[in-house]
Amino acid sequence: MKTLAIAVALALSTSAFAQEKSIRIAGFGAKSGVVRSFGINSEAAMLAAADVINKQGGVKLADGSKAKLVIDYLDDRCTAEEGISVLRRIYGTDAIVAVGPTCSNVAEPLFGILQKKVDDKGDSGLQMPVFTDVAIKIGLAKISEWAFRNVPNESIMYSSLFYWLKTKYPNAKTVFGGVEEDFAHSRASWYAIMKDRAEANGYQVLGNSKWLLNDTNFATQVREMKNANPDIVAISAHPFTTCGVLKEMQRQGVKPKVLVGLTSSSSLETLQGCAKQAEGMIIPTSFAPVTKEGKAAAETTAKFKGAADLHSMAAWENMFILKQVIESEKISGDKSQLQADRRKIRDGLAKLRETKGLMGVTKRTDDREADKPYLFVHANKGEWKVLHNPL
Amino acid sequence: MLDFLQAVSDGLLFGATYALIGIGFTLVFGVMHKLNLAYAAASVGAAYAGLLILQLAAGAPPWVVFLCAFLGGGVLGWLVYVTCFHFIPLSNPLAPLMATVGMLLLIDEIIVHLTAGMPQNYPAMFDDVMLRAGEFTLRGDLLLVAGVSVVCMIALLALLYRTRLGLATRAVSQQAVAAQLCGIRVGQVNAMTFIVTGLLGGIAGALIGASVGALSPLLTAPLTVKGLIVTVIGGLGSIPGAIVAGLLVGALENVFQQFRGVTERDLYVMLLLFAFLIFRPSGLFKQ
Amino acid sequence: MDFYYGLAQTVGIHTLLGLSAYIVLLTGQVTLAQAAFFAIGAYAAGMLTVLAGWHIVPALGASAMFGAATACAVGFPALRVKGLMLVVATLAFGEGVRLFFFNFDYQVAKGEIKVGPLGGEGFRQIRYFQEHGWSTGEVMLFVWVFVVLAMAALWWLDRSRYGAVLRAVGEDELAAQSVGVNLTAVKVSAMTVGGAVAGIGGGLYAHYTTHIEHANFNVLLATFAIAYPIVGGLKNVFGTLAAVIFVQAFLIEGLRFLGDWRNLLFGALIVAAMNLRPQGFLGGRRA
Repeated sequence: MKTLAIAVALALSTSAFAQEKSIRIAGFGAKSGVVRSFGINSEAAMLAAADVINKQGGVKLADGSKAKLVIDYLDDRCTAEEGISVLRRIYGTDAIVAVGPTCSNVAEPLFGILQKKVDDKGDSGLQMPVFTDVAIKIGLAKISEWAFRNVPNESIMYSSLFYWLKTKYPNAKTVFGGVEEDFAHSRASWYAIMKDRAEANGYQVLGNSKWLLNDTNFATQVREMKNANPDIVAISAHPFTTCGVLKEMQRQGVKPKVLVGLTSSSSLETLQGCAKQAEGMIIPTSFAPVTKEGKAAAETTAKFKGAADLHSMAAWENMFILKQVIESEKISGDKSQLQADRRKIRDGLAKLRETKGLMGVTKRTDDREADKPYLFVHANKGEWKVLHNPL
Repeated sequence: MLDFLQAVSDGLLFGATYALIGIGFTLVFGVMHKLNLAYAAASVGAAYAGLLILQLAAGAPPWVVFLCAFLGGGVLGWLVYVTCFHFIPLSNPLAPLMATVGMLLLIDEIIVHLTAGMPQNYPAMFDDVMLRAGEFTLRGDLLLVAGVSVVCMIALLALLYRTRLGLATRAVSQQAVAAQLCGIRVGQVNAMTFIVTGLLGGIAGALIGASVGALSPLLTAPLTVKGLIVTVIGGLGSIPGAIVAGLLVGALENVFQQFRGVTERDLYVMLLLFAFLIFRPSGLFKQ
Repeated sequence: MDFYYGLAQTVGIHTLLGLSAYIVLLTGQVTLAQAAFFAIGAYAAGMLTVLAGWHIVPALGASAMFGAATACAVGFPALRVKGLMLVVATLAFGEGVRLFFFNFDYQVAKGEIKVGPLGGEGFRQIRYFQEHGWSTGEVMLFVWVFVVLAMAALWWLDRSRYGAVLRAVGEDELAAQSVGVNLTAVKVSAMTVGGAVAGIGGGLYAHYTTHIEHANFNVLLATFAIAYPIVGGLKNVFGTLAAVIFVQAFLIEGLRFLGDWRNLLFGALIVAAMNLRPQGFLGGRRA
């Protein structure tokens, strides 16, 4: 009798302490070099979101059981070769989806090694769903049907910004641009987006000056700006050169009516480098801690030592979107069904027409991009404050 | 015409920063006949070290920061010497080169780790001073850099030609074995050379940070390449050569940019280097 | 398994890069131009398979030829420049080639989209392997066929009289010349062979990453190219292979579990390796 009781107790306890089921999500991005802060913040956001989800019980699997989310984060050093190697490494683990990369110059080659069309038997590309949080250069997700992005659509944001500027500053008629020529994102953002959308909204683009990513002398470029005497100056560059140009503008006394910046420069870096000179710079962004969810996400991410900005908060949103997809597509969580699970994630992400973001509802487009709600922030006394919220 | 003159003068002034870096490269090459590829990285690193003083004394004036960078440069210079040159026997000429590459990567990584890669605001002197003559402008802070370069050159030449250390250094650079036979401690002289160039590099890094307005790891690579080009054009081992070459490269670079745009600018700087290598391989001033 | 095949591909491609520098280093020329030949091979092979629809093997053959031709053209002026000036000259050449590709646009419409190199944005969709259904394992074997061929060819060259002549020139040019060695022929031919190997490596690289841009072929890659034979030792081709495995497999991938420390260790271990084994892993003298 006693032996039976012990046996029953053991059997019950084994099922009570049943193997903690887990679903692995791998993040990857740049944790090295000048873009190190992006990787740190994305990782923190993913860990924070997973923590919240796990504390609420985790995700529900196909058989009704609950699983905890396990997060890995790998450093791709913002280089194509390592990005590809990292994704292959992730493919070899039991991760069902990869969230990343940070750098657009990694995303492009990375998406290139994925299978282009889903059921193309002749295409030996990698079959792994990738859900991007940060890499923002326009038009990358259409490279592969396994690539999805949750990044703001700069074309829509800048179009809206220039339209709004027309109402706010009716006397401003001309635009002059500044472009970082040798970086994929900033270059595309001027020619294909800022210039294009400014002209579409009736502005006269007087021209643009160019510089390179690690230039330090902007005298000639700012002189060109001064000679053009524009009402609006739009700078499509990252914080280091943006600050360099702004300081030179101060030196030469170039004071346009409006200063517009690049999406990814609406971060701490710019303020740390040149808060005084950037005063008044307007940037469209897809995140500011103005909603209840946004504030909560920012606070939780801060606990994991990360800052909340449009990039890291996209990673946070990705986690919750993935939770939704895992549950709606009935992921088995069974290691022997790994590839089938990955396919389900891909199909689930492809089916989504809208997702819940921290700023409101985000629409998803047919080419696997996101149409995120946005607002305009401006640099005000050393902080990015909301200038105009179209929502 | 005015635009051209302005471009030339802007470039000349900015070239003073290249001149400062070039002096350090050329001195090490002239004395030890070795290339220290970690020099620009150590200079930028020293500039960062200068910022550390602001952690302890928040409102410190710029010159205190520059002084710390100066001293930090000396320490880093000595470190580079010990890790890359002191222990490696002369029979392996390539090993020190590769070791300095390793130090360059290490210094860059340490900077990135301590600052999370973000640009750090740098205190500047005279950065709001702009001398004007009608439409023509000259940056005050760059004039300071140019002035400091000249002072450094004079100080170094005085060191090399008027002191015992300078005598020993020149002896070692000409005939290391004979110098050793005369009782000169070659190891010590080499270490001192690195410390002196390191001190110089510290000032260079600080002034470059001040004129750019911010420090970033992005500064290292272009300064290394420009520094090497300036060293070769000026003549390996010639200090006045490094200064003139620095100003020349700075001015021409800006002129190239004016006429052909920023994407082709560096291509022409390379062609300038090749022109020198073909027509005047010993550089502007023979050593 | 895919990950290991991918890693093997990376090791193979970098070995080709290292071998291209190895043969030139044997003649005593320190060259930072190998990344440039690598780039030329990459763009050439990419354009041939994507824009002209060639099969990969003749495309790689063309890469080898373009690499060799450019290297030959560089080899002649390189003769005039000695020692560390050659380092700077080849560095400038490498940067020049990179800047050329930065400005290089050649797009052709295929269907509704345009393909081909687009200056600063790079050259995307070089998907020969994926479009023809090659698995990662098959690509790995393909890459290694070329690596083994290159290693075998260089090993055989090394064992032959040509190898002895190469090393003689590397040891002491004057002595070699005085026994009748034609310095020009030796140095330029070594450069040419190096250029061919680098060209093939570049062609494979383009198809491995599917997207190439000018920034991939920068000074850092050129430095890696000479780092492999220097760290591995110039004794024979296996030294270079050992160094590539050390850097790519151990330092970059193997140390990933160290997280942030990995990058710091990278530079530090190179410095340590050069101090502990200045002649390289396998040593310098041929057995």
